[in-house]
Amino acid sequence: MTENRTPRRFTIPIGPQHPALKEPGAFQFTVDGEVVTNAYVRLGYAHRGIEKAAEERNWIQNLYLIERVCGICSHIHALAYCLAVEQLANVQAPPRAQAIRVLVAELERIHSHFLWMGVAAHEAGFETLFMYTWRDRETVMDLLEGLTGNRVNYSANLLGGVKFDVDAAQADSIRTGLEFLEGRVRHYLDVVSHDATFLQRTRGIGVMTTAQADVMGAVGPTARASNVVRDLRVHAPYAAYPDFPVSIVTDPRGDLEARFSVRLRELFESFRVIREILDRLPAGELAARMPRRIPEGEAVIRLEAPRGDVFYFVKSAGGDQPERLKIRTPTICNLTSVVRLAVGHQLADVPMILAGIDPCFSCNDRMVQVRKQSDGSQELMTWEQLRQHGIEFYRGKAQ
Amino acid sequence: MSLLPGIGAMLIFPGGLSLLTASLLYEWADHKLLALLQNRIGPRWFQPFADSVKLLAKEEIVPKGVDRWLFFGLPLVALAGALTAGLYVPLAGLAPIASFPGDLIVVLYLLSLLTLGLGLAGANSLDRFSLIGATRTLTQVFSYEAPFMMALLGPALAAGSWQIATISAYASGHWLALTQPLGFVVALIGLMGKLEMPPFDAPEAHTEIVAGAMTEYSGRGLALFNLGKAVELFIGLTLISALYLGGVENPLLFLAKTLGLLLALTGVQALLTRLRIDQTVGLWWRYGALLVLVQWLITILVR
Repeated sequence: MTENRTPRRFTIPIGPQHPALKEPGAFQFTVDGEVVTNAYVRLGYAHRGIEKAAEERNWIQNLYLIERVCGICSHIHALAYCLAVEQLANVQAPPRAQAIRVLVAELERIHSHFLWMGVAAHEAGFETLFMYTWRDRETVMDLLEGLTGNRVNYSANLLGGVKFDVDAAQADSIRTGLEFLEGRVRHYLDVVSHDATFLQRTRGIGVMTTAQADVMGAVGPTARASNVVRDLRVHAPYAAYPDFPVSIVTDPRGDLEARFSVRLRELFESFRVIREILDRLPAGELAARMPRRIPEGEAVIRLEAPRGDVFYFVKSAGGDQPERLKIRTPTICNLTSVVRLAVGHQLADVPMILAGIDPCFSCNDRMVQVRKQSDGSQELMTWEQLRQHGIEFYRGKAQ
Repeated sequence: MSLLPGIGAMLIFPGGLSLLTASLLYEWADHKLLALLQNRIGPRWFQPFADSVKLLAKEEIVPKGVDRWLFFGLPLVALAGALTAGLYVPLAGLAPIASFPGDLIVVLYLLSLLTLGLGLAGANSLDRFSLIGATRTLTQVFSYEAPFMMALLGPALAAGSWQIATISAYASGHWLALTQPLGFVVALIGLMGKLEMPPFDAPEAHTEIVAGAMTEYSGRGLALFNLGKAVELFIGLTLISALYLGGVENPLLFLAKTLGLLLALTGVQALLTRLRIDQTVGLWWRYGALLVLVQWLITILVR
């Protein structure tokens, strides 16, 4: 009993189950009083074998699967997959389809950033902001539902195009909704940059310098809040972004306040782009014809998800199924920064620093390589071996 | 005082059962008002009662490594302290059940029993969240307790008595919130600190340390602590209304004044972000204590 109470190496576990986490991820924070002296992260609690599952399905079926990589930025994953497959098949989606894809992607960004702000405010103990942002988020959810029929997994993409058109009535309702949301974002920007008690919890907390952001490979708004000028919508424009350019929003401060500021100011760009798309939506078809079998080849696609850089690698062997699909989501790039930045901060700041990168654990869990503790060797199982192992494991359990 | 009415006053009205009922209703009012301010629907009026009944009926799980006596005893002591404090304050605008010179100090100490009980309950556990929560609870006690106590002694200075009944009678003619505004504000904010309401909820910040000192409490103990907090909210509101808001001569005035105070408390809860524990300590010792001392000085000089 006494060993456990020695003041040295007092470790606070956050996760796998903890009220601060909405998804399983395990963090260990060693604290000295209230100050964090060491941090450690362990992932892999929500590994779903999506990449392997994608190899078992055909190109069309995968659309359904890929949409479910992330519950919040579902559209961007389907979009990345479609763009990669289209690139392999050498098919170009019509301009109208590309514009609608960007429209949904930007609406999704609004939805994601509102959700994030609520979560971050909740971690800081500012429940009122949490409740207000989530109420306002309903507006954009309704817009997405009116447009696509779904609130979460919009299912907007087809291989070679999109499933639905935007008519005048929908465009009008989106414009009205955006009007309201823009006013709200302006208000929240005022709150997060002027509310004295909130600033006590964000200003100068979790500062990441530009050099650190580069070294740790931070992506997306987290990196842009540290003055890293990188946005794939600008530097590697895809879909309709060449026709509807956005400008990069950065902040030199690198602290939590900057992350709030960048994400909120980014939304004004989203509003502007959505309005432009609605005003000059290109005429034409909604989808191009796709072959059932995709020619042999490899494609790499990088898109700017609400959280940052999404990376897709698709390899086709010429059949009706992908040979290999590799997904890397932004959270895995940003997690390093949490572990580094938490050290030296108060325990109370840790949930905020964690929420500051907008983590999404289920998306980033990919594969676990088990390293034997005795000799450090790694053992990889083939699919067949894993299946056999599973059968034997449960047979052993049953007896 | 004959025995039977005395026991009745202690156990049924205005102390005891009535006190518990009123406290739970005030807890509901607090939750409901906060919910309305936060654009939520909020609980129905019987929710605190339902919660208490459910928790009281639940199995109490005793974690490994705790002292059983303390584990079961501390919630009882905490609730008993809060209920006993109720005997000395003018509940519902009636005269206090018991009264003696200097009872103000006794009430303040009885009210602290709850926080002390919470801190000890957390420290009694092996759970890491409880230990951090206990440290924070006790740190918070040391920061707000002195300014809060001094703020409630301000009216005592003005009235020239340490007896709640006397001060309350004196305060009926004087709105001390107007003549001692600094003390009033500190007392009100101090009550929030005492009850670990947001923004002073660092000791039970659930995004960091789950439920703080109460993490390991599940059934009866948790219910008793919750009841104790509800009672303390009620008594705190009564005390501040009686001392600062021109007294509470009748139940109607009592209701109006305490509910007005509660509205102010929920407003503050809704407006502010949770303070870190170091910020709480800094706030109390840098501003709270100083404000009260200035208030005392003014009161002594002017009187």
